[in-house]
Amino acid sequence: MQNLLDPVVLNAISGLDLVAATVVDGFVAGLHRSADFGFSQEFAEYRAYAPGDDLRHVDWNVYARSDRAYIKRFHGETNSQLMLLVDASSSMGFTSHAVSKLAYVRFMAAALAYLATRRQRDATGLVVFGNTVRDFVAPATRQGHLQRVLAALVAAQPGESTSYAAPLLHLQSFLRRRGMVVVLSDFYAPPADIVRAVAPLRIHGNEVVLFQVLDPEELRPRVDGSSMLIDSETGASLEVSQDYVQGRYRERIDAHVAGLGREARRAGIGYQLLQTDQPLDQALMQYLLLRTGRD
Amino acid sequence: MGWLAPGFLLGAVTIAVPVWLHLLKRSASQPRQFSSLMLFEPQRRSTTRRRRIDHWLLLLLRVAVLLLIAAAFAEPFVRGHLPGVAPEKLLVLAVDDSFSMRAGTRMEDARRAALAVLAAKPRDTRAQVVALGSRADVLTEQVQDGAVLAGALQRITATDARGSLVLLAGLARTLAAGTHMPIELHLFSDMQASGLPADFDELRMPPGVTLVLHRVGAAATPNWTVESVAVPAQVWDPAKMRIIATIAGFGTPAATRTVTVLINDQPVSHQSVRVPASGRASVVFAGLQIPYGMVRGSVRIDSADGLGGDDHYDFVIQRSERVHGLFVHQGSDAATGLYFRAALAAAADAAVALDEITADQLRNRDLAADTFIVLSDVAGLAPAAEARLTDWVKAGGRLFISAGTTAAQQRRIPVFDARILGAHDYTRDAGRFTAVAAVDEAYAPAGPLSGWQGVKIFYVTRVDPGQAQTALRLADQTPLLLEKRLGKGRVLLFATGFDRLTSDLPLHPQFVAFIDRLASYLSGRGARNSALTVGDSVDLRPDPAVRGSADVLAPDGTHPLDLGQAQTVRTWPLPAAGFYTLTLADSRHELVAANVSRLESDLTPASDDKLKLWQAASQAPAAAGAAAASASATPGTDAESIHDLWWYAMCLLLVAVVAESVVASRYLNTLRDST
Repeated sequence: MQNLLDPVVLNAISGLDLVAATVVDGFVAGLHRSADFGFSQEFAEYRAYAPGDDLRHVDWNVYARSDRAYIKRFHGETNSQLMLLVDASSSMGFTSHAVSKLAYVRFMAAALAYLATRRQRDATGLVVFGNTVRDFVAPATRQGHLQRVLAALVAAQPGESTSYAAPLLHLQSFLRRRGMVVVLSDFYAPPADIVRAVAPLRIHGNEVVLFQVLDPEELRPRVDGSSMLIDSETGASLEVSQDYVQGRYRERIDAHVAGLGREARRAGIGYQLLQTDQPLDQALMQYLLLRTGRD
Repeated sequence: MGWLAPGFLLGAVTIAVPVWLHLLKRSASQPRQFSSLMLFEPQRRSTTRRRRIDHWLLLLLRVAVLLLIAAAFAEPFVRGHLPGVAPEKLLVLAVDDSFSMRAGTRMEDARRAALAVLAAKPRDTRAQVVALGSRADVLTEQVQDGAVLAGALQRITATDARGSLVLLAGLARTLAAGTHMPIELHLFSDMQASGLPADFDELRMPPGVTLVLHRVGAAATPNWTVESVAVPAQVWDPAKMRIIATIAGFGTPAATRTVTVLINDQPVSHQSVRVPASGRASVVFAGLQIPYGMVRGSVRIDSADGLGGDDHYDFVIQRSERVHGLFVHQGSDAATGLYFRAALAAAADAAVALDEITADQLRNRDLAADTFIVLSDVAGLAPAAEARLTDWVKAGGRLFISAGTTAAQQRRIPVFDARILGAHDYTRDAGRFTAVAAVDEAYAPAGPLSGWQGVKIFYVTRVDPGQAQTALRLADQTPLLLEKRLGKGRVLLFATGFDRLTSDLPLHPQFVAFIDRLASYLSGRGARNSALTVGDSVDLRPDPAVRGSADVLAPDGTHPLDLGQAQTVRTWPLPAAGFYTLTLADSRHELVAANVSRLESDLTPASDDKLKLWQAASQAPAAAGAAAASASATPGTDAESIHDLWWYAMCLLLVAVVAESVVASRYLNTLRDST
């Protein structure tokens, strides 16, 4: 079952709903194999322990395994909504292997939507954006809503440049209920600007999680000799050398990733770096962990 | 440093190809899409420079490969001596052994000078001895052993050959082509002026050859000689024979010389002649008694000079009876016989007694005494007469048939046995006549004659040539003169007549020459010379179809041909002066006389200016003093060594090719990985 969570394996599955079911069911089955850490009839969700929570609800087995305290919550205890913000700019079409960043984001968003809708009965919404809002599915829990979300994800194609300000400003007008906002993007912008644009989403007590999806090639590019690189969004070209890519560029991308994480934590925003060659269960686990708003 | 073939350096322009390819490659580099360049900083200058450096290594190696290929083809060399190492070279000692070296002590002087040069040769230097006369005889291999070389020098003696210094340049080119080292070529000669060609380009030494001249003999040596003797090769009436001898003096004062004619080694006449200073005088002998057969003749003078070999001139005279020829014509035709006889009489040495009969008289004619027969446009022969004539030819007789207007009315040519296809009267054509268009120049009776194209042919009998040889052919390809073998004899067919109605040949001067050569050919005498020159070749197989053994009896009583040569050799050069008795392949015997070329008699040496010019024409100059005939000159003291760098260029080329392969392989692997 673990192989089914491999993005390369998922890429071979045509239906996004089946991908979502495969990912979530596999993920949940994996949790069931662990004693006292799974979904039951009454179980609704896990939530990270917060000061003031009843210690009786702390799942100590999970604490023993992950060194983190989680609170079991059951149906009726949640009244949340999940808002997925998917970056579909041109840079998301980049790939160095079978799965592009946008495909990986589709899998991730579908799995989260499936998990929230089918397992947690949360209202799930979707915003596909580039430099503008290109598609919007309002959060809802009615039957067939998941299919709308998945259809919007399938229709999302890479294009345009990226702008966080306008789409997130537009989103603020729809956020009425307390819930969770998940932003899936490669975040090629200054970390301070990103956090400044995302931070207003935390109004109404929303939890905001940033999933930075990057291709391995973006973190550790392989350039022999010198190469001419073309920016997929702006079309600008630049000749770079191997030494620069292996040295200066790595420093700058590492600093960018670390800076974004640092700025996000400072603003009370969850952050996780995802690589497109990693299985999705790790991302889902990160989602559950970050749903509390903590690392 | 120099180049033996500098023209190949033009190949260096091919370096533009890799340069262009590298520039093309640079502009055609494949760009890569990347998600965002936000985190990249402009590094255009440094990265471009770095990539150029990487490509430069490959580019430089490729350019080096092309340059080295061009350099290898251009054959670089350097002049000079390698430090601490004696320059390697080949020492060639060429000794002139031509006839002029017999004068005085020239041969001994040349040998002594050559031995002196040999004695100064370093022990490890290889040398070679060559005798230079009418040809270059290599007497030794390229050896270091001084005893072998000295022995070869001691064995060189002056010959009767004509010397030619042009051979020296050819020898040098041959040695240079086969020897990859500098050559120091020493020539020991009397440097006859007559041995030098007018054009010094023929004497130019090839690159890498240093010429050192050693002149021997006195500057000027007076010499008298019998320069030439005019005498007929064949005579039938000695009373009409005259011998004209020309006596010449080279560098001589005016003097009176006694000229003696010897027949079969016996003096039969002598005269005194006044020869002017460095001049010529002629003397005529007539009324000499010449015996029958092959006679050895000689004209001698009393010269008492240093070169006695040219004081006599040998020749051979063949005295024989007049041959009998038979001219057969139609009874009504008397003109053609007149033309034919007049032409024979006009020939100076025609020794033919011609009988004329009509075709009807042929039946009663005894043909045994006739050497050849001419059938001049006869209408036909009785079967018995034709049978007799055919048998006569098969027994070795030679028959000439002219087919004019009368013969053309028959169905076939008798004896020649060719079907008559018809006759063509060109006077009825628009051009009124035709002409000879093709001549077989190897055909003795007609080929050597010129002017056939000017003869107008009005009427010709067209025959089927069959297997006959065609010597003359008309413009419309009609055969005019044919020959066919019949048994041991031959039959010749002239497809027109000797009268003026069928052609204007009797009106042309060459008619006499044609009849003369025809009579000689029909009588089997052929063309022969009274005297030859040493070096001339004699034909031991005049008829290649005849297989047999030939033999040569030399003047010294030896038989120079071995058994294998006697069966196969066709021509043989006469190596020395004197009388040679030849047994030809067809069992005939010939006696020939060979004389030394009289160009060797002029012992006047070439001027120093000419020798200097010769050396200047050579690329490797010898010491200036060598031209002044210094027999004691130390060889090679000023000569430079030439070191061929071809191998070095090839080694560097190999290294460059390997390096280029390694670098290019790495570069390709990099490209493959990037892709």
